[in-house]
Amino acid sequence: MAKIFGIVASSAPFIKVEGMQDYRPIAAFSFIGRYRIVDFPISNMSNSDIDYIQVYMGNKPRSLTEHLGSGRTFNINSKRGKLQMLFPQGSSVNEIYNTDISAYMENLEIIQRMHQDYVVIAPSYMIYTQNYADLVEEHISSGADITLLYHRVDNAKEAFLNCFILNLNRQKGVISLEKNIGKAKNRDIFMDTYVMKKDLFIQLVQEAKKESSMFTLADIVSASAADLDIRGVAHRGYFAAVTDFKSYFDANLALLDHKLAENLFRPDWTIYTRTTDSCPTTYCTGASVKNSIVSNGCLIQGIVENSVIGRGVTIEKGAVVRNSVILSYAQIGPDVHIEGQVVDKWAKVIRAKEIIADPAAPGYIRRSDNL
Amino acid sequence: MSQNMLAMILAGGRGSRLKDLTNKVAKPAVSFGGKYRIVDFPLSNCANSGIDVVGVLTQYESVLLNSYVAAGRRWGLDSKDSGVFVLPPREKADERLNVYRGTADAISQNIDFIDSYEPEYLLILSGDHIYKMDYDAMLTYHKERGANLTVAVIPVPMKEASRFGIMNTDEEGNIVEFEEKPAQPKSNLASMGIYIFTWKDLRRALVADMRASDSSHDFGKDIIPAFLADGKKLVAYKFQGYWKDVGTIDSLWEANMDLLDDRGELNMNDTSWKIYTDDASALPQYIGPDTQVDHAYITQGAVVLGDVRHSVLSTGVVVEEGAKVIDSVLLPGVRVEAGAKVTRALVAENITIGKGAVVGDAGSENITLVAKRVKGVE
Repeated sequence: MAKIFGIVASSAPFIKVEGMQDYRPIAAFSFIGRYRIVDFPISNMSNSDIDYIQVYMGNKPRSLTEHLGSGRTFNINSKRGKLQMLFPQGSSVNEIYNTDISAYMENLEIIQRMHQDYVVIAPSYMIYTQNYADLVEEHISSGADITLLYHRVDNAKEAFLNCFILNLNRQKGVISLEKNIGKAKNRDIFMDTYVMKKDLFIQLVQEAKKESSMFTLADIVSASAADLDIRGVAHRGYFAAVTDFKSYFDANLALLDHKLAENLFRPDWTIYTRTTDSCPTTYCTGASVKNSIVSNGCLIQGIVENSVIGRGVTIEKGAVVRNSVILSYAQIGPDVHIEGQVVDKWAKVIRAKEIIADPAAPGYIRRSDNL
Repeated sequence: MSQNMLAMILAGGRGSRLKDLTNKVAKPAVSFGGKYRIVDFPLSNCANSGIDVVGVLTQYESVLLNSYVAAGRRWGLDSKDSGVFVLPPREKADERLNVYRGTADAISQNIDFIDSYEPEYLLILSGDHIYKMDYDAMLTYHKERGANLTVAVIPVPMKEASRFGIMNTDEEGNIVEFEEKPAQPKSNLASMGIYIFTWKDLRRALVADMRASDSSHDFGKDIIPAFLADGKKLVAYKFQGYWKDVGTIDSLWEANMDLLDDRGELNMNDTSWKIYTDDASALPQYIGPDTQVDHAYITQGAVVLGDVRHSVLSTGVVVEEGAKVIDSVLLPGVRVEAGAKVTRALVAENITIGKGAVVGDAGSENITLVAKRVKGVE
């Protein structure tokens, strides 16, 4: 097998999730109760026998740092492996300078020291499973310089905005990358996932830096399409991109379709996460729960429908929670009625008796807020 | 060692009263409360009490138990001077391999292991009780009273006292007599099988016990009576709180059912005294669109598409559409197929109840143990 190291990139500065991102990078966002989004790229790598993984941390790294810990959680070989957290200092002058390229330039020495021949670069704001070892094999046998993973979607007019799309020729050769501004329904969304040789990666990073301080890796790859053999590989299965608040809300609730959830969480492809040793959940007499994902450690006395409930959440008597994402340790007080909301961690909704939004335009309740 | 106290968990018994549940695993490894195993309780209590070194004495069907407890990391027992040590019977240079002949013999055969830590005190625990207890508080009591042996006791209803080992005490809490399952109990203080010995006293008694040809090498039958006969200071440490022996199918079922009383006496949700266990790496639980879940204790990885009432569902349990689970405990990996009905039963790990099958009986005196696949009804 080819020797590969992994890079989990932080999300680009132009991707903004209102509210939630004030507290942590998208990588550390809670996902269907017990996971964080970063668990997906890291587990994909770990399951693909990639044991050297660099995680670029982005802004407000406290929560992500705590979550990753020593990396032991992710089943990475404790001697012949390493989960490395890199904290680019970035620029305070203007965040347009805080590109992925500037983060790689800052850590170029560390990247150059990696002794693996290939690198897989994966995003920390997208959710999917993929065997990277297979992808690298495909990359090598195709003889391409760069392989990009993409997903064919039919809703690119209203979703995946701000993502890149691949313009492919008939042989799946990449002609160019461009931003999705919602012009057409059917698009090949670039999954921000690259395979190439380490040496080419370093060369591209250095070229991008020379070209423009605002250049991203996607920009330099797109600009190199004429000179390099760049190919797209189609991904199948569940795929979500968290590029704004609505897409975060939708990505969670989409997995209430249990068949879809079983497709994402297969027994032979464990998604690792940090355990909190919380006890099972208690459903009290008089509680009613329908079509919902519920994490451990909850106490449920009220009504829950079409919702995702995080760890240690309390839903008291007479409370109604519908079409909502409730993050860990939140409390929904007696007779409180909540619909179409994301309730952030540790929030207490006690006095506000009715917070109702259309799931098409969900509302947000801040972390540790008292309402 | 921070407290100079070493803990030894007696985990060698088969637990034959658990019938087919312990055909393949030792009792301490039996699943409990959705995501735990019984031995998680004494191990987590040790970790939470600041005990660093725990020996686990195993014998019967110990492969699963050995590999399970050896990963001390699960309970945080993996810092530099800390660890969980699996101690099955060993063949030694000057003797042939002897199985553990009794609870005391299991300790005797590991005197070398204990001595290597030079502990001042030895805590003896059993691997078949569900409870939360601060052993450090018990050690403080042992020291304050200047005892040679402290026995943890719990008051039980007088009419049930004849089922237990009963400690008869004087007004100061000194143990004056020990009676195993007395027909006419004089006290209701039942031994919890938790002992703190001053190690040098126990060591001496064990050496003598090993040589005694008429001994059954048992703590209750031999060591405690010998301590009493020698005029040693034995004190009773009264425990208050939840404690349950889960030695039978009925009591194991009951202890599971007690968890439905959320934040009750055994508050599993108390973050200051967590019970640690293996992480299941499973999805959160999923409750389907057309179900009724009425009073249940359910853990991650369970999928509920049918109705569940007054029941405990473990990791990876699936209740299919139209199935009903009532007053039952489903151990990990159980699947109740469409239209099946499970009432007042304890279903063993990875058992499938076939389509439309009916098991258990609402009116039965005892809990039905289902340990074999139940065929569906066409």
